Amino acid sequence: MSHVRVFGLLMALGLMSLGSVAVVAQDVIPDNTDVRRTAWGDPNVQGIWDFRTITPFERPDELAGKDVLTAEEAAEYEQRTLALRNKDRRTEDGLSAAADVASAYNQFWWDYGDKLTEDRRTSLVVDPSNGKMPELTAVARTRSAVRRAARRRDAHWTVDRGVAERCILGFNAGPPMNPSAYNNNVQIFQAPGYVVLLNEMVHDSRIVRLDGDHLPQNIRQWRGDSRGYWQGDTLVVETTNFTDKTSFRGSGPTMVLRERFTRVSGGTLLYEYTIDDPVSFARPWSVAVPMTETDQPLFEYACHEGNYGMLNLMEGARAVDAKKAPR
Amino acid sequence: MRAKIIVAVAGVALALAAVPVVAHHAFSAEFDADAPIHLEGTVVKMEWINPHAWVHLELEDGTVWMVEGGTPNTLLRRGFSKNSLLPGTEIIVDGYQAKDGSNKGNGRDLTFKDGSKLFMGSSGTGAPRDGRDQTEPE
Repeated sequence: MSHVRVFGLLMALGLMSLGSVAVVAQDVIPDNTDVRRTAWGDPNVQGIWDFRTITPFERPDELAGKDVLTAEEAAEYEQRTLALRNKDRRTEDGLSAAADVASAYNQFWWDYGDKLTEDRRTSLVVDPSNGKMPELTAVARTRSAVRRAARRRDAHWTVDRGVAERCILGFNAGPPMNPSAYNNNVQIFQAPGYVVLLNEMVHDSRIVRLDGDHLPQNIRQWRGDSRGYWQGDTLVVETTNFTDKTSFRGSGPTMVLRERFTRVSGGTLLYEYTIDDPVSFARPWSVAVPMTETDQPLFEYACHEGNYGMLNLMEGARAVDAKKAPR
Repeated sequence: MRAKIIVAVAGVALALAAVPVVAHHAFSAEFDADAPIHLEGTVVKMEWINPHAWVHLELEDGTVWMVEGGTPNTLLRRGFSKNSLLPGTEIIVDGYQAKDGSNKGNGRDLTFKDGSKLFMGSSGTGAPRDGRDQTEPE
């Protein structure tokens, strides 16, 4: 399909009016051609992908040994989970005041999904087969304890808080990406030699080069350094060179993250990843998060500019300190 | 067998309810669980911004409070817009005050005077707009 006709298709679909959607000109997927290839012949994993799900990250103890639910069990699970997670439940429903504050605001602000994954798994963790993360090493446990202590006390400075609260990285963007409270969207673009992952939170473009070696070990980046290659129709991305400023559930700067992206039929992108970090975990472990194509746009998530919350948090911490100060 | 499955699922759901959502430990650090607030006033401004929206309301005595909400992106996805909560709208806020004692709080529960929650309109479903929900999108 020529570029002119593709443009016409875009206009007809009204996509140009969705200001926040930037479509790479030559790679729009027309209806009547092979959607699985880009114009230059690479597998096509482009699109805006929605990764909401209420499947728990780890298999709950009550479901030990049960890796998949039946359709009936899944429907009941979904119903109960949504009822119990509903943020309009408050102190009169049994929440403590502290839990009520932490619930933050009404249900209408939240967007964590209302379904389990289609395969009705009982955990997003797929390896180990018990659906739970492996044990942390002593090194990782100490590191996590230090982080936790900083979060629990009244903040001395912004660095005591998580990178998401500081508007540096989104809490569902990782890498690796995982479903969370809201804005569980990523837009994937491709160009010859590159794949770009644009996460809605925090408007973050992770550029994956499809050639070359990783950066030297002495160069560290907030999102690590991603290099990718094709394995059949699967994009394999290896990310290394992390800093010590981020941690994924206990990981450290030594983490080697391998992500796999495969477009399967029916508008689904199978996203899987393996954490390989022997300094932090007893063994490598893997997670699978199916993503669904959406025709909704990504919305801007300018974060730092409107981060009154961090200001308030600091002022609150200073107010608490002032009350404690000796007279 | 059926009863056992239901009990297991219920247990799971209960366990899940205890799992904290990553996002809002910040709220526990910002707002005081021992300082609940109940505000009735008129919207003077709504900031449709990230990471959190803020509603500014003026109380009867003239003081202006600002209350923190969630990401406006969720509301935009459900069909609401910047015109969905205009200045002059009377609302009620139940929440908790900022730890520094200022006129800020989290908008833990935002309702209209009739008790119905904000932003609960039937966006995109084709249901008739009956005028009762002032934030229902057109």
